[in-house]
Amino acid sequence: MDLQVKDPAVEIKRLQRCMNDLLSLVALPAIWSGNEPSQIIPIVLDALLGMLDLDFVYARFNDAADAGSPEILRVAASCRLTVPPSEISRTLRNWFKDEGQKLFPPVRNRLGDEDISLFPVPLGIHGEMGMIVAGSERTDFPSQTENLLLSVAANQATVGLHEAKLLTAQKQIAVDLDAQVVRSEERWRSVFENSAVGVALTDLNGRFIATNPVFQKMLGYAEDELQQLTLFEITHEEDVEQSRALIAELLAGKRQQFQIEKQYRRKDSGFVWAQNNVSIVPGTERVARFLMALSEDITQRKRSEEALARARSELAKVAQITSLGVLTASIAHEVNQPLSGIVTNASTCLRMLSANPPNIDGARETVRRTIRDGNRASDVITRLRALYSKKEPWPESMDLNEATREVTALSLSELQRSGVILRHEFADGLPPVVGDRIQLQQVILNLLRNAGDAMSTVHDRPRELLITTQPDGENEVRLSVKDAGVGFTPEAASKVFEAFYTTKSDGMGIGLSVSRSIIEAHQGRIWATSNDGPGCTFAFAIPCRPQGWADRETRINRADSSADAA
Amino acid sequence: MDVPNRMAHCFVMESPKGRDRNEHPLLSVVVDDDESVRESLPDLLREFGFAARAFSSAEEFLSSGCLDETSCLILDIAMPGMTGPELQQDLKRRGQEIPIIFITGQRDETVRARVLKQGAAGFLLKPFSDTALLAAINTALQAT
Repeated sequence: MDLQVKDPAVEIKRLQRCMNDLLSLVALPAIWSGNEPSQIIPIVLDALLGMLDLDFVYARFNDAADAGSPEILRVAASCRLTVPPSEISRTLRNWFKDEGQKLFPPVRNRLGDEDISLFPVPLGIHGEMGMIVAGSERTDFPSQTENLLLSVAANQATVGLHEAKLLTAQKQIAVDLDAQVVRSEERWRSVFENSAVGVALTDLNGRFIATNPVFQKMLGYAEDELQQLTLFEITHEEDVEQSRALIAELLAGKRQQFQIEKQYRRKDSGFVWAQNNVSIVPGTERVARFLMALSEDITQRKRSEEALARARSELAKVAQITSLGVLTASIAHEVNQPLSGIVTNASTCLRMLSANPPNIDGARETVRRTIRDGNRASDVITRLRALYSKKEPWPESMDLNEATREVTALSLSELQRSGVILRHEFADGLPPVVGDRIQLQQVILNLLRNAGDAMSTVHDRPRELLITTQPDGENEVRLSVKDAGVGFTPEAASKVFEAFYTTKSDGMGIGLSVSRSIIEAHQGRIWATSNDGPGCTFAFAIPCRPQGWADRETRINRADSSADAA
Repeated sequence: MDVPNRMAHCFVMESPKGRDRNEHPLLSVVVDDDESVRESLPDLLREFGFAARAFSSAEEFLSSGCLDETSCLILDIAMPGMTGPELQQDLKRRGQEIPIIFITGQRDETVRARVLKQGAAGFLLKPFSDTALLAAINTALQAT
């Protein structure tokens, strides 16, 4: 410390200069704002060189970006040291290495051939950010003011380095966050792009905002083409009304989502069937609410369903034709008998009238028989016409007893010819059943014929066939056909309803399988059991009111029920 | 032997053939489970000059006791119980050589071939004309 009394004027000047330098130092941060540490330090060092009477000033600092600790050395123009700058740096570096980061008072040290005063100033409280070392040949280095200025400069530098470090960290965080957002964005985008179902986002008017490749491919449009369209414009006319109504409910808050099966018109004018789950997505501060549709292409499934329905109907027709073939044979026989009687009686009549004398009474009797037989033939035709007049399968409310009587009436003679004794126990007040009359009668005919066939080889007991109707439980009606035939083996029991399984040598075997289809289409069940005695009983039970048959619009049902469940 | 039924509409006066040497009417028997056949055929047969009886089953005929008197049997094929062909076999076993004319509503070539091979005198499809029946009966009686 300098204790010499100085000339006041000089002292004042010195202090003024010191104040100015301090102000400059304090203003430094404005210069290096936003700079890297490697740029801050030189500014400080240069300032120091300018303010103080130094030979050199050296700094070592920790740059976050740099793994090592960079050094900077500034040598004053007025420096008369002969040691080269690299030597100074090397000496100081080694000195730091040896002495560590300890605080020590200014020391006089040997540098090359000269002695210099070194004044180290730590950066940071414990020098954790680095060190500035000022050096001078002067023995009185550093003075009080120099000490002060160096300390303040070190402080500023430290502050600057801290800020730089902070800034760097902030930048890194921002980068990391951005990366996270980007990753998250990418992830969600990937979900959208690679979803197994079509995803379409539309605004509240139905205009497409974004669609994923699956959806685009389903419709044959590119994304930008879709963005020019609304979903209503590409929906099948039949489904537009319903789509509008359901979306209106979504917007009005009456429901959160809905399911609908509908058809879209593709760009190439074909149609696709889609099962859609549509929901409204709530908005955020930045994004208005929008509609999201998850759309699954069910064209294949629909086509299969249609094909299956067609195949069933074809099969039923075949069965109809087949049983019709048998029925025709049966009918031919029915009609043939009266015809035969007519021919015989008429022939007899002519002969009687030609006799001498004419046998009027006999002739009259033959004519009576002829007319009777003619009516009998006519009845058969009428019954047949009534039975098969409807072409369309149509659910109607019917009395199963009456339907069964019609079938037995038509097959009575055939059964009697087979020696079958037909009995029936029809329940009184049997509730009406909603079903397809023709199809159910086919099933009954099938069961009757099978029963008859089962008994065709039976000779040691009466060939009894019993038809029973009864209510079954609360909502069903059951019909049973019990025979006294050969029954079936356990192996046959499990297969008896399978298509083309038959024990008859000439049977087509589709009878029971089609019967099962028909009964199942009526939401009923059909089964066979062995009797306690000989033979077996075939029975079916169908609900009085099958679900969903009253309402032919099946699509709306699905949309409602699934949304309500949600 | 089938006579085309088209002849039904052309009326031919036939003199009664149904008489034996002593001018007693020959007995024609009808066996058919069909009531209208049993009702109408005997009258026609009587117009032909035969005596006629009708039975509803083969068993009834066999137990009727008129086998020996039967000159001609008009027999249905499909019947519950003993069928027409089965009766044919049974009569053969008994040594009863009654000419049989089969009548049936069903075309079945195999059955027709079989019964003819077994010695049936005729096979007619219902409905058959009176002339066809008469021709068949004549053939049957001439063969005996």
